[in-house]
Amino acid sequence: MSGVHHFVPVLHRGDAVGRHTLGLREASRKRGFRSEIFVDTVDDETADETLPVLSYPERAEPGDVVVYQFATASAMAPWLAGRSDTLVVNYHNVTPPELMAPWDNHLALGQLRAQGDLRLLAPRSALAVADSVYNEGHLTAAGFVRTAVVSPSAALPELVGSDAAAVSSAAASATPGRGARWLAVGRVSPNKALEHTIAALAVARAHGDPEATLQLVGRPATASYVAALHRYVAELGLGDAVQFAGHASDATVASAYARADVLVVTSEHEGFCVPVVEAMAAGVPVVAFDQGAVPEVLGGAGVLVADKDPYALATAITAVLRDTSRRVDLVDAGRQRMAALHLETASERFVDLLTPLAAPAATSP
Amino acid sequence: MSADVSQSGGSGDPNEPGAETPTTADQIRAADALQQAFTRLAPQGSDAWNFLAAFTHLGDRYGPYHPGASALSDAVASDRGDVRRTGPLDRLRPRRNAAGRAPDGEKTDLEVAMGHVVEAFRFLSARVGTLEARLAAQDRPVDGAAWFVPARELAQLAGPVAAHVMGSTPGGVIVHADCGEGDLLHALDARGAESHGVEPRGAVALRAIEHGCSVTIAEASEYLASRAEGSAGGLVLSGVVDRLPLYALLPLLTQSRRALRRGAPLVLVSEDVASVRAREAIAQDLVAGRPLHEATWELLLLRAGFVEVAPLPVGAQGDGRVALSAVAPR
Repeated sequence: MSGVHHFVPVLHRGDAVGRHTLGLREASRKRGFRSEIFVDTVDDETADETLPVLSYPERAEPGDVVVYQFATASAMAPWLAGRSDTLVVNYHNVTPPELMAPWDNHLALGQLRAQGDLRLLAPRSALAVADSVYNEGHLTAAGFVRTAVVSPSAALPELVGSDAAAVSSAAASATPGRGARWLAVGRVSPNKALEHTIAALAVARAHGDPEATLQLVGRPATASYVAALHRYVAELGLGDAVQFAGHASDATVASAYARADVLVVTSEHEGFCVPVVEAMAAGVPVVAFDQGAVPEVLGGAGVLVADKDPYALATAITAVLRDTSRRVDLVDAGRQRMAALHLETASERFVDLLTPLAAPAATSP
Repeated sequence: MSADVSQSGGSGDPNEPGAETPTTADQIRAADALQQAFTRLAPQGSDAWNFLAAFTHLGDRYGPYHPGASALSDAVASDRGDVRRTGPLDRLRPRRNAAGRAPDGEKTDLEVAMGHVVEAFRFLSARVGTLEARLAAQDRPVDGAAWFVPARELAQLAGPVAAHVMGSTPGGVIVHADCGEGDLLHALDARGAESHGVEPRGAVALRAIEHGCSVTIAEASEYLASRAEGSAGGLVLSGVVDRLPLYALLPLLTQSRRALRRGAPLVLVSEDVASVRAREAIAQDLVAGRPLHEATWELLLLRAGFVEVAPLPVGAQGDGRVALSAVAPR
């Protein structure tokens, strides 16, 4: 029996790519394929779920399909490119190096390498799967010929969409007497452009909502950028209004959504933006810059701000928070959009694409 | 939970607290100032980050500088006869086994040498980081205790100070640091001057900009360092001179002289030593910079290269602060 094996440089249980990879492995196994996850760097937390990549040649069998989870530069790319297995690239986006360069040249060079890796894999791939149409455009530009789009599987932490949704729905009407609670979720990294959110908070507090607060939930990913954000917050006099919550458990993330009045997304670049989906599941309205894959994922179920201006953003957020019926409409639209994405079946749809590529013996268990 | 921010310049409810709405032009300028205030925090080109880039380049050229971090790195290079590894130094590399790994415990002379190079870079990087952190502490004492001190406007001093500066400027932009909400800038504008403010407290600066002032959100030292030499027609320092630590004052005054045109006036407005104890004593105790005696200011101004240092008689308004005037050498 041939196999469908998944390759990822390192498997983190808590991040979107890690969840996605685990979901794909389970879907592959259910379909009757042999399926393992091979990593270059072993994470202690997931060591029992993975195998060292260099052990793969001993286990490889003719007809195997190799699925490479592509989100960063890795020695895996040239290694896989040099093998003869049927290769599928699952592309999760590469942050443009120019966004990283002002903050960390080292990371920027890594992104440049990743772009090179993508071009290297293009002629070797039987199929490339993106998690958004926006990302599919990157694949085409890199030279991939056969492409498809499938949403990320298992995108949501388990707790979001249950208790959080109920609590946030109860808070769907504005609560008088307290400041608005803004929320931003995701890695604290330059492409998230959180400075725009912070600047808009300063404007909103100066113009009628002096008690508005912002909670930033996410792993600090770029030290110099995180330090700059802290200093910016201090300079704007927002020390008591902005909370850097750091990396959080699923339960803490769900709690953050439950408390939030609005999710604010000001990313310069997003290949998918899982927090948008989380917010829709949790019943939190989304106000975002019209940038990257965010409009596509929102699908009209949120407010897009075209002008990257703190006054425009503060105005848009205020409008949502003041208008209860609009807020409820957005929450309802978010839930419908969430259902339309069919994230719960994404793994199966992905494996559907792989099945014709696998050896015939594996397709008829 | 009701912000009242408008793109159109019209307020929805003029009776609402904080509902005063700036014009669209002022909003645009304020948005630019907020963005610039953040952009300047990026460490572009700093040595610390360039060292990291150098690591990567060295790694690309000669091999991994974290041996063992990636099991595949060596294997890939070995399997494909990586051109990056060819050349005179390649003879130093050990033979590889079937998986492309060096035998355990064996390193080439090159890898040993690279280890030393990397350690040296790490040391230098850490050293630069320490120096930058120390410089930041000297240049930017606004974090922490200094925030306890509320912005103090020039208020009734604005008129006399503006009159003095306008009476002696050789022409060019007049700079005020810390400008607060812009009392002096308005007084200067009323006299036909081209004025510009510098204010490190973003929330205060935002109000000044929204009231029509031209303001950069920055520390005075950062802003003055970015100005071309001899480009300012006058400079007023207030606030900043009372919160900077003593060791940072002379560099600030030296930068001020560099930024001023020849013969351009400088006015320094400081808290009076005698008046401070009776007012905001607790807050002042928390601040690194304590008010200095006029004689000390005179000495510092002269050491920074200013001439014609003299008291400026603006304190008769019952304000309690002292002011000194000086002139950049002609």
